[in-house]
Amino acid sequence: MTILETAEFGPVARPAEATPWRNRSTSTLTSIGLASVLPVVLAFLIAMHFAMPGATALVAVFVPLQLIAAGTAATFVGGRRGIPDAILTVFVLVLVLLVAVVLGSVLLNLIRKGIHALSIQFLFYDSTYVTSATSLDYGGVFHAIIGTLIVVGIAALVTIPLGIGVGVFLTETRSPMRGPVRFITQSMTGLPSIVSGLFIYAFFVLSGFSKQVGWLASAALLLLMLPTVARLSEEVLKLVPQDLRSAAMALGAPRNKAFFQVILPAARSGIITAILLGLARIVGETAPLLMTTIPGDATNYKPFSGLMSTLPTYIYKWVSAGSEIAVQRAWGAALVLLILVGIIFTLARIFGKQKF
Amino acid sequence: MTTDYSSVTNVAHDKSQFRDGVEAHLEARNLHVWFGERHVINNVSLEFPENSVTALIGPSGCGKSTFIRTLNRMHELIPNAGLAGEVLFKGENVYGPNIDPVNVRLNIGMVFQKPNPFPTMTIRGNVLSGLRLSGRHSRNEDELVEQALTRASLWNEVKDRLGAPAGSLSGGQQQRLCIARSLALSPSVLLMDEPCSALDPGSTIRIEETISEISQSMTIVIVTHNMQQAQRVSNQTAFFLAEDNNPGYVVEFGETNQIFRTPRDRRTEDYVAGRFG
Repeated sequence: MTILETAEFGPVARPAEATPWRNRSTSTLTSIGLASVLPVVLAFLIAMHFAMPGATALVAVFVPLQLIAAGTAATFVGGRRGIPDAILTVFVLVLVLLVAVVLGSVLLNLIRKGIHALSIQFLFYDSTYVTSATSLDYGGVFHAIIGTLIVVGIAALVTIPLGIGVGVFLTETRSPMRGPVRFITQSMTGLPSIVSGLFIYAFFVLSGFSKQVGWLASAALLLLMLPTVARLSEEVLKLVPQDLRSAAMALGAPRNKAFFQVILPAARSGIITAILLGLARIVGETAPLLMTTIPGDATNYKPFSGLMSTLPTYIYKWVSAGSEIAVQRAWGAALVLLILVGIIFTLARIFGKQKF
Repeated sequence: MTTDYSSVTNVAHDKSQFRDGVEAHLEARNLHVWFGERHVINNVSLEFPENSVTALIGPSGCGKSTFIRTLNRMHELIPNAGLAGEVLFKGENVYGPNIDPVNVRLNIGMVFQKPNPFPTMTIRGNVLSGLRLSGRHSRNEDELVEQALTRASLWNEVKDRLGAPAGSLSGGQQQRLCIARSLALSPSVLLMDEPCSALDPGSTIRIEETISEISQSMTIVIVTHNMQQAQRVSNQTAFFLAEDNNPGYVVEFGETNQIFRTPRDRRTEDYVAGRFG
């Protein structure tokens, strides 16, 4: 029964196969199948025969073979026009595979080595009285989690409004200072983190203004996060159609209301991305924290006094300690940091969703 | 249906800045416009009587849209914009030193060529956006939403899904939503910049009906490329022209019937007959 034969005006149920573009002839399917299997088999046999190392086999044998196979198959299916498509597809897939393998192995390695240290006690105890010989059944990273949350939290609290503010200044005003400000923020995105740490150290610690305490770390991280958030906010705000600004102004909106009720909501998901990328830039930073804080072993909730440990400095400390157990603690802390970032990003996405 | 909204909206526009009872409701006097150094509108003077519909016609690029944007001070939002002359609203120059542009735009609403509802708001939110954006609330928001949507002849199509995002509407519906959004503020002048250029004939007719309905209580200035539309909806017509890279100016301005039946200028005659432009 075709749709025309029904002779009804109401809606018709979707047939099982309403995707005619997926229908492919047997010869097409055969050539695609051969092109995906043959190069793998051939490359494997050649590599075995000449006893090649895996990487060499992959690059020198498999990729060229796959290119030839895909090109040939494409010629059968789509004629000469298919060849560039096939080549591009092969390259893209190989590169995707490469990235996926690298990222996947880092992640797997981290989980494999960090999972031993992970336990409830590891999450909720600090490292008071823990030495590099103490068993993994004692002590944990609680103080470092709290430290990271405090240091990164203060940095974010100051940076988010400031960074978005710079973005707004660059997009919503016509000040002649926009050029210089954009140039400076752009240059600051490349600031080496150690320089920002040294700057804060020299400015506040060497001058005798303050000891090495938590908020100095926040200040150093702020210098790193601000340019990222500012530049990305600017790019995102630039994408909000001029039509919407005009519409708001024509309704008699003062500029502040037009911004908060129309422009910011329209740029919302992009702004959240800007903030998350800014956080990603700073949450794993170690060098500036080593300059500006003294890592401790006890939980310290005070950003203005005392020793402040964070996850990156915790990792640094226990890797430096050298014993096998200490290194396992460091792996555990790295995994905790990864999970923490995952939780923060997921929460931001959930609460940042557009609601109607 | 010509409802006076002020009772419903509880909107107290600061109309005190503008006196009532002057004959020309809105008037452009010796208006010149520049973009940077480029002179684009040359000495335009037009009068818009209260509750009249004025059509602005002319070939593309002759400055009609630019002119209309000078009337509610949207023009100045473009970088490098320049202007000389006066725009009088109820006898008061809207470019006067003590006039707040926000106040001008509250009294002189605008509908754009491309439908531009706020995508992050619901249908209802869009209608009320004018109130929200000027920081006000109404006691009878439901009534206001219904009235504005009814006047824009959109109510029947959307009354069951006022909470749906504005982007889910079709192009014609979005444009009528934009009209409803402007009407909800009950401006005394409505400027329309080719409001039907992206719409199908059905939506166009509905918007024309809306125009004749709201013109009972509102002064309307509409830019259009559609000669039939100009004849159908307007009382008076101004023909703009920009020749050989010279700034645009008004060739002829008068009663719509006169402009279309017995134009005084040869170029007007050629344009309305479709011989150029």
